[in-house]
Amino acid sequence: MKKLTKKTNRNLKWIIIFLIPVTVLLIAFFVYPIVYLAFLGFMEWDGISAMSFVGISNYTRTFGDSVFQTSIKNNLIWALSAAFLQIPLALVIALILAREPRGWRFLRTVYFLPNVISLVALAMLWRAMYNPEFGAVNFFLSQLGLEHMTRNWLGELDTALPAVIFSYQVYIGYFMVIILAGTMSIPKTFYEAAMIDGANILQQERYITLPAIRGIIVTAGTLAVAFALRQFETTFLMTAGGPANRTPVMGLYMYRRMAGLRYGQAAATGVLLILLGVVVLSGMQRIFGKSDAIEDAHQ
Amino acid sequence: MNRDTMTETSLPVQVLGKFLKWLVLSLYLVITIFPIVWLALSAFKTNFEIETAPFSFPAVWQFQNFVSAISVSGLHQYFLNSIIVAVFATLVNLLVTSLASFTIAREEFPFRKVFFTVTTAGVLIPIIAFMVPYYTLITRFNLYDSLLALIVTYSAINIPISMFLISSFMTSIPRELEDSAEIDGCSFFQRYAKIIMPLARPGLVTAGTFSFIYCWNEFIYALLLTSSRSARTVQLAIRFFTSQFRTDYAGMYAAIVLTMIPTVVVYVFLHDKIISGLTAGAVKG
Repeated sequence: MKKLTKKTNRNLKWIIIFLIPVTVLLIAFFVYPIVYLAFLGFMEWDGISAMSFVGISNYTRTFGDSVFQTSIKNNLIWALSAAFLQIPLALVIALILAREPRGWRFLRTVYFLPNVISLVALAMLWRAMYNPEFGAVNFFLSQLGLEHMTRNWLGELDTALPAVIFSYQVYIGYFMVIILAGTMSIPKTFYEAAMIDGANILQQERYITLPAIRGIIVTAGTLAVAFALRQFETTFLMTAGGPANRTPVMGLYMYRRMAGLRYGQAAATGVLLILLGVVVLSGMQRIFGKSDAIEDAHQ
Repeated sequence: MNRDTMTETSLPVQVLGKFLKWLVLSLYLVITIFPIVWLALSAFKTNFEIETAPFSFPAVWQFQNFVSAISVSGLHQYFLNSIIVAVFATLVNLLVTSLASFTIAREEFPFRKVFFTVTTAGVLIPIIAFMVPYYTLITRFNLYDSLLALIVTYSAINIPISMFLISSFMTSIPRELEDSAEIDGCSFFQRYAKIIMPLARPGLVTAGTFSFIYCWNEFIYALLLTSSRSARTVQLAIRFFTSQFRTDYAGMYAAIVLTMIPTVVVYVFLHDKIISGLTAGAVKG
């Protein structure tokens, strides 16, 4: 017993040394930023002259700004479509692939491919897809005899936001892969037993697969919503918030305040973005239960 | 009970199901791949062709689009910057996270679990919220517009995901090897460097791949923390072609294709690692 405590004590010195680099970086790039944002949110600062304390006026000004109201609403639309369009799509594809149809490994690899391509490249690519003169979207619609549906997707007030969101959320790679792995880890004997009992495929998915992968779906949903809340590039590069301020998200709003040297208001927006994330993600946890991933990885 | 009663579904329903299944799979294949192939083909066309014959193959394959894309925007400089940033940020990130993961996966100490949970929870933080703090931090340390600014920032941003991947991998390494090494007089540092690190290579490769791809593709902080050609990365070079008064589509698409090559090549060779890394945490037991 004495030897054991001696050993841990000796190692404790090393443990601390090994943890120092990560801790320093985490403090500088995760802890300090949160503290600094909270502080700066109450200040007025142009980045050059002295700061002055302005109380909550950055927050009241931000909430009073109709562009911010649109931004927060758009962020919520992004998050909702991540949870209710992106994840169901990922789920359907994963359930199909989990039954190992011909070429499923190849399809899994190809479906994931866009996830290694930058959001900048994808944004430019979808700008080409939506281009009113030579874009593929309008071309396909007119080929299908749907000329009346062709339009300037990114330029029109009603279609700009859905078009931007679609261009991002059509890529389900991460979530599909996570859900697929979870589904494939369900023992095959469960399905064999169900088949003997006469359950069809849909019943098997409903009563075996879905209950078993519930936690993984929540994990995927949590990540999808977190990704949706940190949106910036796709909007910035596809519409820059237009047309007529229909498409901005909070990240873009913050970037503009910063570019306009309103650092205090940019910081307040940052605080609100983090708070929105906390509220939405913990709300999800309350409604859908705990996510499987993070805690369990360490068993 | 014979085979016919085992499944209640009739033959037409089965055929319909099969049809629907392949319809979904192939539709989604088209959605995923068509835009990329289309863009890659357009990169070989003239601007006139892109606008007038967007869906035909290039009349003449314009290989010089790539040459002029490089010379007009100085893409090679951005490429070099991106390589330096991605490689060094990944190395720094792997070094610091492997040290920390080693202690978390192989040692007992107070607040071990808390440390791990807090660190990995960083995955969920919207990093873009840190625009102002990162900018002031980097300028305060006189790193603005330098490759070092991006190296440090990216290596820090990737800590949560790397910690998650590497420490779950290190946890799965059997204890016995280390115990016998310790009896043989292996020090703490030697256990890390000589025993666990070599065994953890697959986990390190996965985390390194994720980090490299992230660094290569990152846009916001490259935009915010750099301003000159000497420090900007490839993702910013793509925008160069639209900042003219008229978009040079052919040049831009050629540049995009070139910037996609490194991550796509990495993916082609390491997709198994990427996919297994993603699933490592998601699947229990």
